[in-house]
Amino acid sequence: MNKIFTTLSVALAGAALSATVAQAHHSFAMFDGKTQIVKTGTVVRWAFNNPHSWLYLNVKNADGTDTLWSFEGSAPTGLIQRGITGDTFKPGATVTFMYCPLRDGRPGGAIGWAKLDDDKYLNPADGGCNGGDENQKKWTDWLAKGYTSSTEAEAAVGK
Amino acid sequence: MKIDANLWRLAIAALALSAAPSLSSAQNGGFGAGYGPPLKVIPPPKQFASSEEHYKYLLEQAKGGTKQTLATVPRWDGLWVTAGNTHLSAFITTGNFDGKVIEGVLTPAYEKAYKERWRQQTEEGQVHYDRLGHCEPPGLPRFLLEPYTHEFINLPQESYLINDFGPSIRRVLLGKEHSNLYGTHSWYGDTIGFWDGDKLVLNTKYLYPADFTRWSPMTSNQFETVEIWQLKKYDGGIERLEVQATFYDKYAFVKPVNVVYAFRHATELIKADYRVNHWECDQTSESYLDDKGVTNFHLPGEEGFHDGRGATMFPELPGQTRDPIYNTTLPTATTSAPPATTKGAKP
Repeated sequence: MNKIFTTLSVALAGAALSATVAQAHHSFAMFDGKTQIVKTGTVVRWAFNNPHSWLYLNVKNADGTDTLWSFEGSAPTGLIQRGITGDTFKPGATVTFMYCPLRDGRPGGAIGWAKLDDDKYLNPADGGCNGGDENQKKWTDWLAKGYTSSTEAEAAVGK
Repeated sequence: MKIDANLWRLAIAALALSAAPSLSSAQNGGFGAGYGPPLKVIPPPKQFASSEEHYKYLLEQAKGGTKQTLATVPRWDGLWVTAGNTHLSAFITTGNFDGKVIEGVLTPAYEKAYKERWRQQTEEGQVHYDRLGHCEPPGLPRFLLEPYTHEFINLPQESYLINDFGPSIRRVLLGKEHSNLYGTHSWYGDTIGFWDGDKLVLNTKYLYPADFTRWSPMTSNQFETVEIWQLKKYDGGIERLEVQATFYDKYAFVKPVNVVYAFRHATELIKADYRVNHWECDQTSESYLDDKGVTNFHLPGEEGFHDGRGATMFPELPGQTRDPIYNTTLPTATTSAPPATTKGAKP
Protein backbone atom coordinates (compact mmCIF):
# COMPACT_ATOMS: atom_id res chain seq x y z
CA MET A 1 0.00 0.00 0.00
CA ASN A 2 2.78 2.33 0.97
CA LYS A 3 4.54 1.65 -2.31
CA ILE A 4 1.37 2.33 -4.27
CA PHE A 5 0.93 5.71 -2.66
CA THR A 6 4.59 6.56 -3.17
CA THR A 7 4.45 5.53 -6.82
CA LEU A 8 1.22 7.42 -7.34
CA SER A 9 2.55 10.57 -5.75
CA VAL A 10 5.76 10.51 -7.75
CA ALA A 11 3.84 9.83 -10.95
CA LEU A 12 1.44 12.68 -10.28
CA ALA A 13 4.29 15.02 -9.45
CA GLY A 14 5.97 13.97 -12.67
CA ALA A 15 2.82 14.74 -14.61
CA ALA A 16 2.74 18.13 -13.02
CA LEU A 17 6.36 18.76 -13.90
CA SER A 18 5.77 17.94 -17.52
CA ALA A 19 3.32 20.82 -17.61
CA THR A 20 5.88 23.29 -16.39
CA VAL A 21 8.77 22.82 -18.76
CA ALA A 22 8.16 25.86 -20.94
CA GLN A 23 11.30 27.91 -20.82
CA ALA A 24 11.44 31.61 -21.22
CA HIS A 25 14.41 33.57 -22.47
CA HIS A 26 12.40 36.72 -23.15
CA SER A 27 8.85 37.96 -22.80
CA PHE A 28 6.10 36.75 -25.13
CA ALA A 29 4.29 40.06 -25.42
CA MET A 30 4.97 40.21 -29.16
CA PHE A 31 2.72 37.19 -29.75
CA ASP A 32 -1.07 37.18 -29.77
CA GLY A 33 -1.42 34.15 -27.51
CA LYS A 34 -5.23 34.19 -27.73
CA THR A 35 -5.31 33.66 -31.48
CA GLN A 36 -4.40 30.22 -32.79
CA ILE A 37 -4.09 29.47 -36.48
CA VAL A 38 -3.36 26.23 -38.35
CA LYS A 39 -1.31 26.12 -41.52
CA THR A 40 0.63 23.55 -43.51
CA GLY A 41 4.13 24.20 -44.80
CA THR A 42 7.40 22.70 -45.90
CA VAL A 43 10.36 22.77 -43.55
CA VAL A 44 13.19 25.02 -44.70
CA ARG A 45 15.17 24.80 -41.46
CA TRP A 46 14.70 23.47 -37.96
CA ALA A 47 17.12 25.50 -35.85
CA PHE A 48 17.27 23.40 -32.70
CA ASN A 49 19.27 26.02 -30.88
CA ASN A 50 19.46 27.77 -27.55
CA PRO A 51 18.07 29.95 -26.13
CA HIS A 52 15.10 29.21 -28.40
CA SER A 53 14.47 26.93 -31.31
CA TRP A 54 13.12 28.31 -34.59
CA LEU A 55 11.14 26.47 -37.21
CA TYR A 56 11.29 28.06 -40.66
CA LEU A 57 8.74 26.88 -43.20
CA ASN A 58 7.63 27.80 -46.69
CA VAL A 59 3.87 28.20 -46.78
CA LYS A 60 2.03 28.31 -50.08
CA ASN A 61 0.06 31.46 -50.84
CA ALA A 62 -3.18 31.55 -52.81
CA ASP A 63 -1.31 32.72 -55.91
CA GLY A 64 1.05 29.78 -55.78
CA THR A 65 4.06 31.64 -54.41
CA ASP A 66 5.80 30.71 -51.18
CA THR A 67 6.28 32.85 -48.10
CA LEU A 68 8.88 31.98 -45.51
CA TRP A 69 7.30 31.84 -42.07
CA SER A 70 9.33 31.85 -38.83
CA PHE A 71 8.14 30.26 -35.60
CA GLU A 72 9.80 30.34 -32.23
CA GLY A 73 9.75 27.28 -30.00
CA SER A 74 11.16 26.14 -26.69
CA ALA A 75 14.80 25.49 -25.80
CA PRO A 76 16.40 22.11 -26.59
CA THR A 77 16.51 20.98 -22.95
CA GLY A 78 12.76 21.35 -22.70
CA LEU A 79 12.08 19.83 -26.11
CA ILE A 80 14.23 16.75 -25.53
CA GLN A 81 12.08 15.98 -22.51
CA ARG A 82 9.12 15.95 -24.93
CA GLY A 83 10.86 13.63 -27.40
CA ILE A 84 11.82 16.34 -29.89
CA THR A 85 15.40 16.58 -31.16
CA GLY A 86 17.40 18.37 -33.84
CA ASP A 87 16.34 15.73 -36.36
CA THR A 88 12.60 15.96 -35.79
CA PHE A 89 11.73 18.47 -38.53
CA LYS A 90 13.89 17.65 -41.53
CA PRO A 91 14.21 20.09 -44.44
CA GLY A 92 11.60 19.30 -47.05
CA ALA A 93 9.20 17.61 -44.63
CA THR A 94 5.56 18.63 -44.68
CA VAL A 95 4.31 19.93 -41.36
CA THR A 96 0.83 20.91 -40.26
CA PHE A 97 1.16 23.24 -37.35
CA MET A 98 -0.69 25.58 -35.05
CA TYR A 99 0.77 28.94 -34.07
CA CYS A 100 0.00 32.18 -32.28
CA PRO A 101 0.80 35.05 -34.64
CA LEU A 102 3.08 38.04 -34.20
CA ARG A 103 0.94 41.01 -33.28
CA ASP A 104 2.50 43.18 -35.98
CA GLY A 105 1.32 40.90 -38.79
CA ARG A 106 4.67 39.76 -40.12
CA PRO A 107 4.90 36.12 -41.22
CA GLY A 108 5.81 34.52 -37.94
CA GLY A 109 4.73 33.66 -34.45
CA ALA A 110 5.05 31.30 -31.55
CA ILE A 111 4.69 27.66 -32.47
CA GLY A 112 1.97 25.68 -30.69
CA TRP A 113 1.65 22.03 -31.75
CA ALA A 114 2.95 20.44 -34.95
CA LYS A 115 2.20 17.24 -36.88
CA LEU A 116 4.38 15.39 -39.36
CA ASP A 117 3.27 12.73 -41.86
CA ASP A 118 2.40 10.26 -39.10
CA ASP A 119 -0.28 12.67 -37.88
CA LYS A 120 0.98 12.49 -34.29
CA TYR A 121 1.01 15.67 -32.28
CA LEU A 122 4.33 17.16 -31.20
CA ASN A 123 4.64 19.99 -28.72
CA PRO A 124 7.59 22.27 -29.54
CA ALA A 125 5.92 25.27 -27.87
CA ASP A 126 7.44 27.70 -25.46
CA GLY A 127 5.41 30.13 -23.36
CA GLY A 128 4.12 32.12 -26.34
CA CYS A 129 1.52 29.59 -27.49
CA ASN A 130 -0.19 26.55 -25.98
CA GLY A 131 0.92 23.31 -27.63
CA GLY A 132 -0.06 21.07 -24.71
CA ASP A 133 -2.19 17.94 -24.52
CA GLU A 134 -5.47 19.63 -23.66
CA ASN A 135 -5.15 22.07 -26.52
CA GLN A 136 -4.24 19.24 -28.89
CA LYS A 137 -7.46 17.45 -27.91
CA LYS A 138 -9.47 20.60 -28.57
CA TRP A 139 -7.84 21.01 -31.94
CA THR A 140 -8.50 17.39 -32.90
CA ASP A 141 -12.19 18.19 -32.63
CA TRP A 142 -11.88 21.55 -34.38
CA LEU A 143 -9.83 20.13 -37.25
CA ALA A 144 -12.40 17.36 -37.74
CA LYS A 145 -15.00 20.08 -38.15
CA GLY A 146 -12.84 21.90 -40.67
CA TYR A 147 -11.72 24.84 -38.58
CA THR A 148 -8.25 26.27 -38.99
CA SER A 149 -8.41 29.18 -36.58
CA SER A 150 -9.48 29.42 -32.97
CA THR A 151 -11.41 32.57 -33.80
CA GLU A 152 -13.75 30.82 -36.23
CA ALA A 153 -13.99 27.69 -34.09
CA GLU A 154 -14.92 29.64 -30.98
CA ALA A 155 -17.37 31.77 -32.93
CA ALA A 156 -19.06 28.63 -34.21
CA VAL A 157 -19.30 27.19 -30.71
CA GLY A 158 -20.82 30.47 -29.53
CA LYS A 159 -23.59 30.30 -32.16
CA MET B 1 1.57 6.43 11.04
CA LYS B 2 1.36 4.87 7.62
CA ILE B 3 -1.85 6.70 6.89
CA ASP B 4 -0.23 10.00 7.81
CA ALA B 5 2.71 9.30 5.51
CA ASN B 6 0.39 8.29 2.68
CA LEU B 7 -1.75 11.35 3.14
CA TRP B 8 1.37 13.49 3.06
CA ARG B 9 2.45 11.93 -0.23
CA LEU B 10 -0.97 12.42 -1.77
CA ALA B 11 -1.06 15.99 -0.55
CA ILE B 12 2.28 16.69 -2.21
CA ALA B 13 1.07 15.13 -5.44
CA ALA B 14 -2.16 17.10 -5.32
CA LEU B 15 -0.25 20.28 -4.63
CA ALA B 16 2.02 19.58 -7.56
CA LEU B 17 -0.92 19.00 -9.86
CA SER B 18 -2.78 22.04 -8.70
CA ALA B 19 0.31 24.18 -9.09
CA ALA B 20 1.15 22.96 -12.57
CA PRO B 21 -1.41 24.81 -14.68
CA SER B 22 -0.75 28.15 -13.07
CA LEU B 23 2.98 27.72 -13.34
CA SER B 24 2.91 26.70 -16.95
CA SER B 25 0.73 29.59 -17.93
CA ALA B 26 2.09 32.23 -15.63
CA GLN B 27 5.77 31.33 -15.86
CA ASN B 28 6.43 32.73 -12.43
CA GLY B 29 9.59 32.27 -10.40
CA GLY B 30 8.77 28.68 -9.47
CA PHE B 31 10.41 26.96 -12.43
CA GLY B 32 10.10 23.22 -11.95
CA ALA B 33 8.03 23.49 -8.80
CA GLY B 34 6.10 20.48 -7.61
CA TYR B 35 8.94 18.02 -7.19
CA GLY B 36 9.16 16.78 -3.61
CA PRO B 37 7.71 18.41 -0.52
CA PRO B 38 7.09 22.17 -0.51
CA LEU B 39 10.26 24.19 -0.26
CA LYS B 40 10.76 25.90 3.07
CA VAL B 41 12.99 28.88 3.73
CA ILE B 42 15.38 28.38 6.65
CA PRO B 43 16.44 31.87 7.70
CA PRO B 44 19.83 32.50 9.33
CA PRO B 45 20.01 32.03 13.11
CA LYS B 46 20.31 35.78 13.55
CA GLN B 47 20.47 38.92 11.48
CA PHE B 48 23.84 40.03 10.18
CA ALA B 49 25.00 43.43 8.99
CA SER B 50 26.69 42.08 5.90
CA SER B 51 27.19 38.91 3.88
CA GLU B 52 30.79 38.82 5.08
CA GLU B 53 29.74 38.87 8.75
CA HIS B 54 27.18 36.14 8.03
CA TYR B 55 29.73 33.99 6.21
CA LYS B 56 32.36 34.36 8.93
CA TYR B 57 29.80 33.40 11.58
CA LEU B 58 28.97 30.22 9.68
CA LEU B 59 32.67 29.47 9.21
CA GLU B 60 33.25 29.82 12.95
CA GLN B 61 30.25 27.61 13.72
CA ALA B 62 31.76 25.00 11.40
CA LYS B 63 35.10 25.35 13.21
CA GLY B 64 36.88 26.41 10.06
CA GLY B 65 35.02 24.00 7.82
CA THR B 66 35.25 20.34 6.94
CA LYS B 67 38.39 19.33 5.09
CA GLN B 68 37.26 17.15 2.23
CA THR B 69 39.29 14.72 0.14
CA LEU B 70 38.50 13.21 -3.22
CA ALA B 71 37.07 10.26 -1.34
CA THR B 72 34.85 12.26 1.00
CA VAL B 73 33.75 15.34 -0.94
CA PRO B 74 29.98 15.18 -1.62
CA ARG B 75 29.26 14.29 -5.25
CA TRP B 76 26.48 15.97 -7.18
CA ASP B 77 27.34 14.36 -10.50
CA GLY B 78 25.16 14.38 -13.59
CA LEU B 79 22.67 16.79 -15.09
CA TRP B 80 20.28 18.87 -13.04
CA VAL B 81 17.30 21.09 -13.74
CA THR B 82 15.50 23.54 -11.53
CA ALA B 83 12.94 22.18 -9.09
CA GLY B 84 11.19 25.29 -7.84
CA ASN B 85 11.95 28.15 -5.51
CA THR B 86 10.30 30.65 -3.20
CA HIS B 87 11.78 33.56 -5.08
CA LEU B 88 8.71 35.54 -6.07
CA SER B 89 7.10 35.06 -2.66
CA ALA B 90 9.83 37.25 -1.21
CA PHE B 91 8.59 40.23 -3.20
CA ILE B 92 4.98 39.58 -4.26
CA THR B 93 2.03 39.04 -1.90
CA THR B 94 0.74 35.87 -3.58
CA GLY B 95 4.01 34.74 -5.12
CA ASN B 96 2.26 34.89 -8.48
CA PHE B 97 1.05 37.36 -11.07
CA ASP B 98 -2.21 38.02 -9.28
CA GLY B 99 -0.33 39.56 -6.34
CA LYS B 100 1.04 42.96 -5.47
CA VAL B 101 4.47 44.19 -4.49
CA ILE B 102 5.08 43.55 -0.78
CA GLU B 103 5.82 46.91 0.75
CA GLY B 104 8.76 47.43 3.06
CA VAL B 105 11.03 44.76 1.60
CA LEU B 106 12.79 47.15 -0.76
CA THR B 107 14.20 50.59 -0.10
CA PRO B 108 11.97 53.47 -1.31
CA ALA B 109 13.86 54.02 -4.57
CA TYR B 110 13.96 50.32 -5.44
CA GLU B 111 10.37 49.75 -4.33
CA LYS B 112 9.18 52.56 -6.57
CA ALA B 113 11.16 51.14 -9.48
CA TYR B 114 9.86 47.64 -8.80
CA LYS B 115 6.22 48.78 -8.66
CA GLU B 116 6.70 50.20 -12.14
CA ARG B 117 8.30 46.96 -13.34
CA TRP B 118 5.45 44.96 -11.84
CA ARG B 119 2.93 47.25 -13.51
CA GLN B 120 4.67 46.67 -16.84
CA GLN B 121 4.64 42.92 -16.29
CA THR B 122 1.03 42.64 -15.19
CA GLU B 123 -0.52 45.28 -17.46
CA GLU B 124 1.66 45.11 -20.56
CA GLY B 125 2.73 41.48 -20.34
CA GLN B 126 6.45 42.21 -20.11
CA VAL B 127 8.96 44.41 -18.36
CA HIS B 128 10.73 46.95 -20.51
CA TYR B 129 14.17 45.90 -19.36
CA ASP B 130 15.17 42.27 -19.28
CA ARG B 131 18.89 41.69 -19.53
CA LEU B 132 18.46 38.47 -21.49
CA GLY B 133 16.37 40.26 -24.09
CA HIS B 134 19.47 41.94 -25.39
CA CYS B 135 22.04 39.24 -24.85
CA GLU B 136 23.45 40.08 -21.44
CA PRO B 137 24.38 36.97 -19.40
CA PRO B 138 22.00 35.74 -16.71
CA GLY B 139 24.53 36.45 -13.94
CA LEU B 140 23.92 35.96 -10.26
CA PRO B 141 21.37 35.58 -8.65
CA ARG B 142 19.48 34.69 -11.83
CA PHE B 143 21.79 31.68 -12.15
CA LEU B 144 19.86 30.08 -9.29
CA LEU B 145 16.54 29.86 -11.13
CA GLU B 146 17.34 29.67 -14.82
CA PRO B 147 15.44 26.66 -16.18
CA TYR B 148 18.25 25.32 -18.29
CA THR B 149 20.63 22.45 -17.54
CA HIS B 150 23.00 22.60 -14.62
CA GLU B 151 26.08 20.60 -13.59
CA PHE B 152 27.80 20.76 -10.21
CA ILE B 153 31.33 19.49 -9.86
CA ASN B 154 32.81 19.27 -6.39
CA LEU B 155 36.52 18.85 -5.75
CA PRO B 156 38.33 19.14 -2.41
CA GLN B 157 39.75 22.60 -3.15
CA GLU B 158 37.08 24.04 -5.42
CA SER B 159 33.63 23.57 -6.86
CA TYR B 160 32.29 24.43 -10.31
CA LEU B 161 28.64 25.38 -10.54
CA ILE B 162 27.64 25.32 -14.19
CA ASN B 163 24.54 26.46 -16.04
CA ASP B 164 24.29 25.81 -19.75
CA PHE B 165 22.62 29.20 -20.17
CA GLY B 166 25.39 31.20 -21.65
CA PRO B 167 26.95 28.90 -20.54
CA SER B 168 28.00 30.23 -17.21
CA ILE B 169 30.37 28.85 -14.62
CA ARG B 170 30.65 29.92 -11.02
CA ARG B 171 34.09 29.02 -9.74
CA VAL B 172 34.06 28.48 -6.01
CA LEU B 173 37.40 28.68 -4.25
CA LEU B 174 37.28 26.79 -0.95
CA GLY B 175 39.09 28.03 2.13
CA LYS B 176 40.16 31.27 0.44
CA GLU B 177 39.57 34.98 1.00
CA HIS B 178 37.91 37.18 -1.61
CA SER B 179 40.11 38.48 -4.38
CA ASN B 180 39.35 41.08 -7.05
CA LEU B 181 42.39 41.71 -9.21
CA TYR B 182 40.22 43.17 -11.97
CA GLY B 183 39.25 45.99 -9.65
CA THR B 184 35.66 45.92 -10.85
CA HIS B 185 32.47 43.92 -10.62
CA SER B 186 31.22 41.20 -12.94
CA TRP B 187 28.22 39.01 -13.82
CA TYR B 188 29.17 36.22 -11.40
CA GLY B 189 31.44 38.11 -9.01
CA ASP B 190 33.87 36.32 -6.75
CA THR B 191 32.74 33.28 -4.76
CA ILE B 192 34.51 31.69 -1.83
CA GLY B 193 33.26 28.81 0.27
CA PHE B 194 33.79 25.96 2.67
CA TRP B 195 32.25 22.62 3.49
CA ASP B 196 30.30 22.15 6.71
CA GLY B 197 29.82 18.40 6.61
CA ASP B 198 27.66 17.83 3.52
CA LYS B 199 26.72 21.52 3.24
CA LEU B 200 28.57 23.78 0.84
CA VAL B 201 28.56 27.34 2.20
CA LEU B 202 29.25 30.18 -0.24
CA ASN B 203 29.81 33.91 -0.13
CA THR B 204 29.66 35.94 -3.35
CA LYS B 205 30.62 39.60 -3.80
CA TYR B 206 31.54 42.06 -6.56
CA LEU B 207 28.43 41.54 -8.69
CA TYR B 208 27.06 43.78 -11.43
CA PRO B 209 23.81 45.62 -10.81
CA ALA B 210 20.97 44.26 -12.96
CA ASP B 211 17.46 42.90 -12.86
CA PHE B 212 17.10 40.07 -10.36
CA THR B 213 14.94 38.30 -12.94
CA ARG B 214 12.33 39.44 -15.44
CA TRP B 215 9.62 39.59 -12.79
CA SER B 216 11.77 40.76 -9.92
CA PRO B 217 13.25 43.93 -8.49
CA MET B 218 16.47 45.45 -9.70
CA THR B 219 19.55 44.82 -7.60
CA SER B 220 22.51 47.13 -7.05
CA ASN B 221 26.28 46.76 -7.29
CA GLN B 222 26.23 46.04 -3.54
CA PHE B 223 24.21 42.83 -3.94
CA GLU B 224 25.95 39.95 -2.13
CA THR B 225 24.94 36.43 -1.22
CA VAL B 226 25.43 33.75 1.38
CA GLU B 227 24.25 30.37 0.08
CA ILE B 228 24.05 26.99 1.77
CA TRP B 229 23.84 24.12 -0.73
CA GLN B 230 22.81 20.67 0.47
CA LEU B 231 21.53 17.50 -1.18
CA LYS B 232 18.31 16.45 0.56
CA LYS B 233 16.61 13.06 0.28
CA TYR B 234 12.88 12.46 0.69
CA ASP B 235 10.48 9.53 0.58
CA GLY B 236 9.83 8.05 -2.81
CA GLY B 237 13.46 8.20 -3.88
CA ILE B 238 13.31 11.98 -4.31
CA GLU B 239 16.66 13.74 -4.25
CA ARG B 240 16.70 17.51 -4.30
CA LEU B 241 19.64 19.86 -4.18
CA GLU B 242 18.44 22.77 -2.07
CA VAL B 243 20.01 26.20 -1.81
CA GLN B 244 19.17 28.33 1.20
CA ALA B 245 20.18 31.81 0.08
CA THR B 246 20.40 35.08 1.97
CA PHE B 247 20.70 38.16 -0.19
CA TYR B 248 22.27 41.38 1.05
CA ASP B 249 21.95 44.68 -0.80
CA LYS B 250 22.25 47.92 1.16
CA TYR B 251 20.83 49.96 -1.70
CA ALA B 252 17.95 47.67 -2.67
CA PHE B 253 16.82 45.76 0.44
CA VAL B 254 15.59 47.15 3.76
CA LYS B 255 16.93 43.99 5.37
CA PRO B 256 18.41 40.75 4.01
CA VAL B 257 16.10 38.63 1.87
CA ASN B 258 15.91 34.85 2.38
CA VAL B 259 14.93 32.54 -0.47
CA VAL B 260 15.28 28.82 -1.16
CA TYR B 261 15.99 27.39 -4.62
CA ALA B 262 16.11 23.75 -5.68
CA PHE B 263 17.38 21.45 -8.40
CA ARG B 264 16.50 17.86 -9.27
CA HIS B 265 18.22 15.19 -11.34
CA ALA B 266 17.45 15.74 -15.03
CA THR B 267 16.46 12.12 -15.52
CA GLU B 268 14.75 12.75 -18.87
CA LEU B 269 17.84 14.47 -20.28
CA ILE B 270 20.18 11.80 -18.92
CA LYS B 271 17.98 9.11 -20.49
CA ALA B 272 18.14 10.95 -23.83
CA ASP B 273 21.95 11.05 -23.54
CA TYR B 274 21.91 14.82 -23.59
CA ARG B 275 25.23 16.67 -23.55
CA VAL B 276 25.63 20.22 -22.35
CA ASN B 277 26.91 22.19 -25.30
CA HIS B 278 28.44 25.60 -25.51
CA TRP B 279 26.12 28.26 -26.85
CA GLU B 280 25.80 31.98 -26.63
CA CYS B 281 23.03 34.45 -27.15
CA ASP B 282 24.40 35.50 -30.51
CA GLN B 283 23.93 31.95 -31.79
CA THR B 284 20.21 32.28 -32.38
CA SER B 285 18.63 35.07 -30.45
CA GLU B 286 16.83 37.37 -32.84
CA SER B 287 15.19 39.42 -30.11
CA TYR B 288 15.74 43.16 -29.76
CA LEU B 289 14.07 46.10 -28.10
CA ASP B 290 12.07 48.07 -30.67
CA ASP B 291 11.60 51.84 -30.66
CA LYS B 292 8.71 51.44 -28.22
CA GLY B 293 10.94 49.56 -25.80
CA VAL B 294 9.12 46.31 -26.50
CA THR B 295 10.88 43.02 -27.18
CA ASN B 296 10.51 41.98 -30.81
CA PHE B 297 12.23 39.79 -33.40
CA HIS B 298 14.21 40.24 -36.56
CA LEU B 299 12.97 37.74 -39.14
CA PRO B 300 14.97 36.30 -42.05
CA GLY B 301 15.47 38.84 -44.79
CA GLU B 302 15.11 41.80 -42.43
CA GLU B 303 17.96 44.08 -41.54
CA GLY B 304 19.30 43.01 -38.17
CA PHE B 305 18.62 39.32 -38.66
CA HIS B 306 21.74 37.29 -38.04
CA ASP B 307 21.84 33.77 -39.30
CA GLY B 308 23.19 31.60 -36.51
CA ARG B 309 23.35 28.59 -38.80
CA GLY B 310 24.52 30.42 -41.89
CA ALA B 311 28.02 30.83 -43.25
CA THR B 312 30.87 32.51 -41.42
CA MET B 313 32.44 35.75 -42.65
CA PHE B 314 34.33 33.67 -45.21
CA PRO B 315 31.62 32.07 -47.36
CA GLU B 316 33.97 31.86 -50.33
CA LEU B 317 35.89 29.12 -48.55
CA PRO B 318 34.54 25.56 -48.63
CA GLY B 319 33.12 24.22 -45.40
CA GLN B 320 32.10 27.54 -43.83
CA THR B 321 28.42 26.86 -43.14
CA ARG B 322 27.40 26.34 -39.53
CA ASP B 323 24.66 23.98 -40.65
CA PRO B 324 26.79 21.25 -42.25
CA ILE B 325 24.36 18.39 -41.65
CA TYR B 326 21.32 19.81 -43.44
CA ASN B 327 23.04 22.72 -45.21
CA THR B 328 19.97 24.95 -45.27
CA THR B 329 19.95 28.60 -46.28
CA LEU B 330 17.77 31.51 -45.27
CA PRO B 331 17.49 34.94 -46.84
CA THR B 332 19.69 37.60 -45.26
CA ALA B 333 19.44 41.35 -45.10
CA THR B 334 21.53 41.59 -48.23
CA THR B 335 19.71 38.81 -50.06
CA SER B 336 16.21 39.45 -51.29
CA ALA B 337 15.93 36.14 -53.13
CA PRO B 338 13.31 33.73 -51.81
CA PRO B 339 14.54 31.16 -49.30
CA ALA B 340 15.53 27.78 -50.57
CA THR B 341 17.12 24.64 -49.30
CA THR B 342 20.19 23.44 -51.09
CA LYS B 343 19.42 19.76 -51.11
CA GLY B 344 22.33 17.63 -52.07
CA ALA B 345 24.89 20.38 -51.67
CA LYS B 346 28.06 19.41 -49.86
CA PRO B 347 28.78 21.45 -46.78
